[in-house]
Amino acid sequence: MDTTDQTTHDGVTLACEQVVRRFGGLKALKGIDLGIRQGEIFGLVGPNGSGKTTLVNAVTGFYPPQEGRIVFEGAAINHLKPYQVASRGIARTFQNVALFKGMSVLDNILLGRHIFMRPSALASLFYWWWAQKEEVAHRRQVEEIIDLLQLESVRDEPVDVIPLGMQKRVELARALAAEPRFLILDEPMAGMNQEEKEYMVRFILDAQEALNLTILLIEHHMDVVTAICDRVAVLNNGEKIAEGTARDAIKDPAVVAAYIGKSNDAA
Amino acid sequence: MFYRLSGVHHTRYETARRLWPVPTDRWQVWILLALAVAAPLYMSDLYLSSYMLPWLVWSAAALSLTLLMGIAGQLHFGFAAVMAIGAYSSIHIVRAGWPFEIALIGAGLTAAFIGCLFGAAALRVKGLYLVMATLAMQYLVDWVIINVPAISGGAQATLQTPDVTFLFVPMQSDAALYYGALLWAVIVTLLVLNIKRTSFGRALVAVRDKDYAASIIGVNSFKYKLLAFFTSSFLGGVSGAVLAFCYYQAVTPEQFGFNVSIQLVAMVLVGGLGSVIGAYLGAGFVLLAPIFLTNVVAYAAIQGWLSVSTNLLAHIPLMAYGALIIGFLLFEPLGLAKIYDNIRKYFLVWPFRHSRS
Amino acid sequence: MAYFLELLINGALTGLMYSLTALGIVLIYKSAGVPNLAQGAMVMIGAYAIWMLASMAGLPLYLAIALAAAAMFGFGLLAERLLLRKMVGQPIIMIVMLTLGLEIFLRGLGPGLLGASPKSLDLGIPLTPVIVGDVFINRDYLVGGIVAMILVGLSLLFFRTRLGTKLRAVSDDHVSSWSVGISVERAVGISWGLAGISAVAAGALWGSVQGVDWTLSTLLFPAVAVVILGGLDSIIGVLVAGLIVGILGSVIPGYVDPIVGGGTRDVVTSLIILFTIMIRPHGIFGREDIERV
Ligand SMILES: Nc1ncnc2c1ncn2[C@@H]1O[C@H](COP(=O)(O)OP(=O)(O)OP(=O)(O)O)[C@@H](O)[C@H]1O
Ligand SMILES: [Mg+2]
Repeated sequence: MDTTDQTTHDGVTLACEQVVRRFGGLKALKGIDLGIRQGEIFGLVGPNGSGKTTLVNAVTGFYPPQEGRIVFEGAAINHLKPYQVASRGIARTFQNVALFKGMSVLDNILLGRHIFMRPSALASLFYWWWAQKEEVAHRRQVEEIIDLLQLESVRDEPVDVIPLGMQKRVELARALAAEPRFLILDEPMAGMNQEEKEYMVRFILDAQEALNLTILLIEHHMDVVTAICDRVAVLNNGEKIAEGTARDAIKDPAVVAAYIGKSNDAA
Repeated sequence: MFYRLSGVHHTRYETARRLWPVPTDRWQVWILLALAVAAPLYMSDLYLSSYMLPWLVWSAAALSLTLLMGIAGQLHFGFAAVMAIGAYSSIHIVRAGWPFEIALIGAGLTAAFIGCLFGAAALRVKGLYLVMATLAMQYLVDWVIINVPAISGGAQATLQTPDVTFLFVPMQSDAALYYGALLWAVIVTLLVLNIKRTSFGRALVAVRDKDYAASIIGVNSFKYKLLAFFTSSFLGGVSGAVLAFCYYQAVTPEQFGFNVSIQLVAMVLVGGLGSVIGAYLGAGFVLLAPIFLTNVVAYAAIQGWLSVSTNLLAHIPLMAYGALIIGFLLFEPLGLAKIYDNIRKYFLVWPFRHSRS
Repeated sequence: MAYFLELLINGALTGLMYSLTALGIVLIYKSAGVPNLAQGAMVMIGAYAIWMLASMAGLPLYLAIALAAAAMFGFGLLAERLLLRKMVGQPIIMIVMLTLGLEIFLRGLGPGLLGASPKSLDLGIPLTPVIVGDVFINRDYLVGGIVAMILVGLSLLFFRTRLGTKLRAVSDDHVSSWSVGISVERAVGISWGLAGISAVAAGALWGSVQGVDWTLSTLLFPAVAVVILGGLDSIIGVLVAGLIVGILGSVIPGYVDPIVGGGTRDVVTSLIILFTIMIRPHGIFGREDIERV
């Protein structure tokens, strides 16, 4: 493990250094540098196809970067598999809800506790003497999260029958169940109405406070971003074109050009 | 008013997670178990040892397979070979002088290790390749058993099971053999039911449904696929051993051929993938339906209603069995378990027509 | 040396005849993405059909084969229409099991209706082997090998015709071929029909070699090895892999069988399947993405 990185000194918990990711001929990330500080909510914005999800996939091990490094809490994690990244204390939600269909809401959230559990066939065989204790203990933890995100009413429903806004909340609950220190939310408010959005913002802030989280938030709703993000970075075409407080970043001429001039560039 | 749901409230997490939260279901299970335990009292030896006993063991085998195919979503077309490994190794372990209890565990472990080897070869690619790899396993295991006299028992290729005792009970009388099979069926049933409600089962289902989502919450999908293979092959191996000692008592390679593998898959599918009660229903159906059909046709022939050659009669089981598989896949892909569930739901709200589940 | 050559040549020819069975599987997989495990049983039914028309109805052999081919084309169309089309979108296990159910049903039906004892199918190929130098070559195999090559060649040509291009488009992407107006269902149906015709060719040749009975359906196993090794979606792969499976399955048993007491051919076939899956799951000529989870 190399812990030589000095970025940790200024409170940076997750750092991307010159991260490059190609898909065939397409360069989706062209050397991204990013430093996210302990305890902040960091916004990642940019037009469609600018590489936001790809960056998150690089961090979580789905598309390991071909060049560059990703350092979390002082250790490089860019060679880790997704399941190993999870045990380092990083959790995420997906842009398209990725819940386990057919399982109940409760079971989905319980799965979030996987890294703390010791699943085995033997423990299951001797359920009453062995697995039950573990199940009940983790059930208690999960109930706290269910309380926090107000999911009591759907606890026993299969996830595929509840509304989309609810599903996004369940996915957040599943991520929180893993007690992460770093949470990545990929468009948690996509497709929501104003009221649902406000709820979601509330839940994100509550969760951050309750669990002392650092959050990386991808979001298209600029009102939300300006309201809750401490800092933002703007991606365009796989490059970071601005970084700073939300208000400053939005005014940046490069950002304005990227959003407005997009149709011109595409031609 | 068969099922009384009103008044059923759970105040503890333990009871909310019990196997049968509805009291009526619980009563049915106890009654069925009591009937099964008392079976030697009211059933003739013939029925006990040629219907009840094999049904229980095949159900246990189907349960082992449904754990792999239904819950973990991994296909296996060579499960009879897994059972064969269990059957033969248990006999040889007993012959080597070890107690039967050890032999059963040894049978499970041998089957699990060999089964995992074949599974590991194909677990990283599409399910179809797993079908092919397990098919190859079936042929290889068959060949090794047939061609190594030390395993198959020499020239006549039948291997007698030695007399054994299980937990100090000599396994000779029909009743003792039956209770052995019943005990194993109960153990496997409880295991699979408990797996379904604990973290192990959840992880398996997660990997089956969405492996990328499973991985981000920390589930190593390769490891869990392999664990599913191990567990299921272990159970299959012991089921093979129980089948050999309690039912066949003289094993030959043909008892565990490719057709038997397909039969097992059919039990699981006809019963309903991943369903525990489905494994019992499926095993019963696949074992009995061809016999039943043959008898019906034979009876009709004797009555002169239709004329069938003995040759056709001999092939009816095969046709019935193919048609059954096709029919279930087309018309009730969720299998007998779903049919049972519909009936149960009907009575759940009886005398009304609708309710919330 | 002569022994080796004999094993080699007869193995190669047998392998080409495996290709005949495998061809049907690839035709269907290429257009529909369905691994047809009933192909072996379809070969058996094809052979029974020829035998019925030739020996029972007394038709001249080549007319019988032509009629059987037409009938099996219809059978393929029907099987697709009545069974497989209903399963579109279902998980692969369901589809695989459906073809296996069909396999089992046919295995009962043929021998059940026509009697289990093997029927001889005489294609008029003399029994005396062709002798080249001091190598004996089975004439049946020779004819079979040639027919196999012709059919594989025709299939390759076929995929260049308009209908064939359609099929290729279907296999590339169902949804987009729908959107450009190619009738996916018809194309898939036709590929099943063609698989039926190739089953008749395989049935005629294998029936004349080993008699017509249920054992013809066991050709499925070497055929599976051929399609895995060659690549599930590759026609040329069928030919090359057929040769490899045939040769290995003849040469190795030729030397090893006397030592271990027989049956090594299945072992060789199994090992070919396993090693292919471990080393190169998409086979020699298959597209890489067919294996991805
Ligand atoms: N698996 C993949 N294979 C090939 N190209 C990909 C893959 N994933 C992403 N890309 C490409 O990388 C680029 C960036 O995509 P990405 O999903 O990261 O954008 P995004 O910023 O998340 O957009 P959106 O706001 O629409 O979610 C796009 O051009 C996309 O087509
Ligand atoms: Mg995105």
